[in-house]
Amino acid sequence: MTLSAIGLSAMRSGRIILHPTSVEIEPGARIGLVGASGSGKSTLGHALIDALKAQGLQVAHVPQSPDEALDPLRSLAFHWHEAAQARGLADGAAHQRAIFSALKIDGGDLRKRPWGWSRGMQQRFVIAMALMGTPDLIVLDEPTSALDPVIAAATMNLLDRHLERTNTAMVLITHDLGLAARRVSHLMVMAAGRLVEEAETGKILNNPQTSEAKRLAAHRNWMEVPC
Amino acid sequence: MLRVDHIWAKRGAAVALRNVSLSLSAGKTLAVVGESGAGKSTLIASILGLLRPSAGAITWDHQPVSSCRPALVMQEPRSAFNPVWPLMRAVREPVLGQEQSVTNERIARLCRGLELPMELLERRPREVSVGQVQRVGILRALIAAPPLILFDEPLSALDAVTQKHTARLIADMQQEEGFAALIVTHDLGYALAFADSIAVLKDGQIESISDPGSFVTNPGSSYCQALRDAAVALGSIEVAA
Ligand SMILES: Nc1ncnc2c1ncn2[C@@H]1O[C@H](COP(=O)(O)OP(=O)(O)OP(=O)(O)O)[C@@H](O)[C@H]1O
Ligand SMILES: [Mg+2]
Repeated sequence: MTLSAIGLSAMRSGRIILHPTSVEIEPGARIGLVGASGSGKSTLGHALIDALKAQGLQVAHVPQSPDEALDPLRSLAFHWHEAAQARGLADGAAHQRAIFSALKIDGGDLRKRPWGWSRGMQQRFVIAMALMGTPDLIVLDEPTSALDPVIAAATMNLLDRHLERTNTAMVLITHDLGLAARRVSHLMVMAAGRLVEEAETGKILNNPQTSEAKRLAAHRNWMEVPC
Repeated sequence: MLRVDHIWAKRGAAVALRNVSLSLSAGKTLAVVGESGAGKSTLIASILGLLRPSAGAITWDHQPVSSCRPALVMQEPRSAFNPVWPLMRAVREPVLGQEQSVTNERIARLCRGLELPMELLERRPREVSVGQVQRVGILRALIAAPPLILFDEPLSALDAVTQKHTARLIADMQQEEGFAALIVTHDLGYALAFADSIAVLKDGQIESISDPGSFVTNPGSSYCQALRDAAVALGSIEVAA
């Protein structure tokens, strides 16, 4: 069944920060959401999640800041247990071991509070929680922003395998077009609170139409520009 | 000049830094790269004096580093700010007591360079995007023109275009004001494009310190090579065949 959310919008302090936007996602689709900082990517991500949940769908979320997902006063073990329960899983011990070692956070002490772990470890812990169970969609907001390239690549590979196995759809919010180029089949480009372009990844990277997509495609990596 | 001289540091029971030495002159940029948990944040905490090394010494021009009032750009942009203060209040804090008009002018100029609308500073941290609050963190670090600035992943939440403009602004301010910049980053592309030298930290030890050119052509150890190749695979740098 196609996931569909129509007329999403958001307003804060009297300003429209997301203009009416509709999103359709096929089962198992891999979609990237890109755009300048402040263009409304996280806002659209939140609105999409709320709308789909209201339809009774299961959506996992890896927010941009781990502290949006982790209570500073609760241990990581508590978070894990609670997430497993919410998904009706016994407590996911086997899953936990496998996924923690794949994400290289098996050395972390789960009795600690979130701030007892590094930011990169917290980010991977939140990803591990999102990979529990089989949601209809996973929304990841800049999931590799605190990871070094070696661990970022390993994390994305693990995610790829998981999505494939469970036929889960993904919306990947990222500022990293190099990452998007390798991981998603479609891109949605945002500017100033609107979706301005939507197409296959290759099309947008090689033949962008709007000025926003052109800008992003032209600055894919550091070494091409003389600085 | 910043001198980190044979320091050892512990985090709890674990040794987080082993015999780390490096130096950084005024006006220069040193990028520190290395995997999560390699000790990068411990290094920053030690330099700032938030953590006492168990051995070794850290100085700025032969004085304790705190004497030069270094600035820090924190890794987690939102938690770097008081959640209930408007951002403007935090930005002005390092320059309280200085001439208002000078401060206002500087804020306006930095906002332009960082592509931040001024009205955004009237909001609280949760009322702006993560990439915006990250740039406000950079603004706050630059506001008092300190001689040493430590940047912990300063561009991690920015899109590629904003990253380049922000990196350019930092470099221009450095050119003008001559601060020493120590930048912890996972982004090898950024490090290669802007740093004068690149230190690779692995398991609490300095694996190598080299200039960007030789890092790309001849990464040395197998770890440095893996780091370079992963950055190529992620698409953040391209290496000519
Ligand atoms: N409470 C608020 N009041 C006013 N404006 C807000 C509020 N919350 C968010 N905004 C604005 O809405 C816009 C979109 O924010 P959003 O967090 O969705 O951007 P983003 O594309 O995710 O950016 P980034 O890449 O920096 O994370 C930004 O310009 C932000 O300043
Ligand atoms: Mg965002």
